[in-house]
Amino acid sequence: MSAFHFEGLVWHWPIAIYLFLAGLSAGAVFFAIMLKHFKLAHEAWHSPFVQAAAIIAPVAVFGGLGILVFDLTRPLDFWKILVFYNTTSVMSMGVLVLMAYQLVLFAWIACVFQRRITQLLGKRLPIVQRLLNWLVKQEAAITGILVILAISLGAYTGFLLSALIGFPLLNNPVLPLLFLISGLSSGAAATLLGGVLLRGNPNGVEVRFIHGIEIPLILVEIGLLFTFFAGLILSGGQSQVAALNALGFGFWGWIFWAGVIGIGLTLPLAFNLWMKVSADRKFAYVAVTASFSLIGVFLLRNFILYTGQMTGT
Amino acid sequence: MQVSKRQFLKGVGALLAGASFYGVTRSPQADSTQAAEATPEIKYAMVHDENACIGCNACIDACREVNHVPDGVSRVKIERSGPFGEYPEQSYRFSRVSCQHCEAAPCVRVCPTGAAYIDKATGIVAVNSDRCVGCQYCIAACPYQVRYIHPETRTADKCDFCQKSRLAKGLEPACVEACPTKALTFGNLKDPESDLVKLLKAKPSYRAKVDLGTRPKLFHIQTIDGEIML
Ligand code: SF4
Ligand code: SF4
Ligand code: SF4
Repeated sequence: MSAFHFEGLVWHWPIAIYLFLAGLSAGAVFFAIMLKHFKLAHEAWHSPFVQAAAIIAPVAVFGGLGILVFDLTRPLDFWKILVFYNTTSVMSMGVLVLMAYQLVLFAWIACVFQRRITQLLGKRLPIVQRLLNWLVKQEAAITGILVILAISLGAYTGFLLSALIGFPLLNNPVLPLLFLISGLSSGAAATLLGGVLLRGNPNGVEVRFIHGIEIPLILVEIGLLFTFFAGLILSGGQSQVAALNALGFGFWGWIFWAGVIGIGLTLPLAFNLWMKVSADRKFAYVAVTASFSLIGVFLLRNFILYTGQMTGT
Repeated sequence: MQVSKRQFLKGVGALLAGASFYGVTRSPQADSTQAAEATPEIKYAMVHDENACIGCNACIDACREVNHVPDGVSRVKIERSGPFGEYPEQSYRFSRVSCQHCEAAPCVRVCPTGAAYIDKATGIVAVNSDRCVGCQYCIAACPYQVRYIHPETRTADKCDFCQKSRLAKGLEPACVEACPTKALTFGNLKDPESDLVKLLKAKPSYRAKVDLGTRPKLFHIQTIDGEIML
């Protein structure tokens, strides 16, 4: 059986990229909001890390949606998903969340960068100014709703797959939680990487704050992965077959142990723990750790998507 | 703090208003997974008698011709297992793989546009290809792996009990008519006088993957020929 082509495979890597980007966007927004709320407050707009998140979040979600549309067999009919709804369909509800998310995301970005935008505009476009002022007054509500939407979006990437009842590895209650947590950590990593690339201080308060959340997040992710596979194996039957097949010695087994567990979780965790002791963080350190996390999450999405479709009931 | 809480509530209110607006625009076909209020007179089903089937594939050819199914895809397959026994006393088992017209159809539940739907009047699970965007969610969700993308229309397709071709003319499905050994029986589950119900009451039958809760309407009569398999 080849790793990328086998009987019963319906969804290919574009879906994995879509799930990766949607989770990453939600994660980046989540951390940008946390940074502003707990650390930066009104200084948020000139933090390179918040700026990076404000660029990454919309670009990732647009890119993801673009890939999704491109992957339809009838891309030009995409508008039908927006017009027709089905309450029992995770995809339909997810698209609804995605639309609301993008709207609120831009409102939030406008709030955070209001001063900068006002500076740039000067005396021009008074309507935009008034809109901005109005948005800033609603900032608390916008932030609250955006947090809810971001978490929904992150979980949705998992629910999309767990609704496939014919595949025991996907039809698993832990999957949405696993995708939510790994999506958040990929968002954190993308924010860090983008931030230092925008010449943010690799030893700054933002990096320390995000790294502080990252360790518990990685530990939770390892716990979830363990629960995920232990649960499958204990269920017996095709669930056990699916789990052992995925974790075995094939191509995907290597991706899992070396890529997801090794590069994605163990190395960033080790780096993070080591960094606690010695104080100074360098550009290379932050960039490499973040890249490893990103690679790990990206591989996890592909691993779950492909091995999930390998074993049916 | 008081102010921001009020603003938050306002935002939630707006969200709710949006949600109720959405209730108006959602597709009428989409809620078909819920049971219909008025119980319809017709509920079509099919039986495949594996004792009678000789694996000639006449059903596949007839379906292809009548429903214009292009090469490379098929609405029905006959899966063969065996051989059992020593030559020349060898035998095979044949089982039909096609849409099961699930009462609780996963394909209908996941379809984002309501293109996959259950026809409430007949219980047939069908595809409205005008609405289908080709997301393939239904194909992945169907535990029986019987859906495919039609190479010409680029939309999801599968057995519809000949709803648009033969049933519309008051005829039996093409595969049923083509079968030389009368292994296929089609009929109305709600009609106690139908051949289908009489057959189901006369012989024990099984349905595939009932543990998934799909409540399929394709029945199989198991062959006793061949070996006992674990
Ligand atoms: S067998 Fe598959 S395609 Fe047919 S109704 Fe059931 S889930 Fe849908
Ligand atoms: S491929 Fe078509 S019928 Fe199937 S879920 Fe997508 S829109 Fe619905
Ligand atoms: S009932 Fe009609 S559509 Fe279904 S397999 Fe038979 S001939 Fe094909």
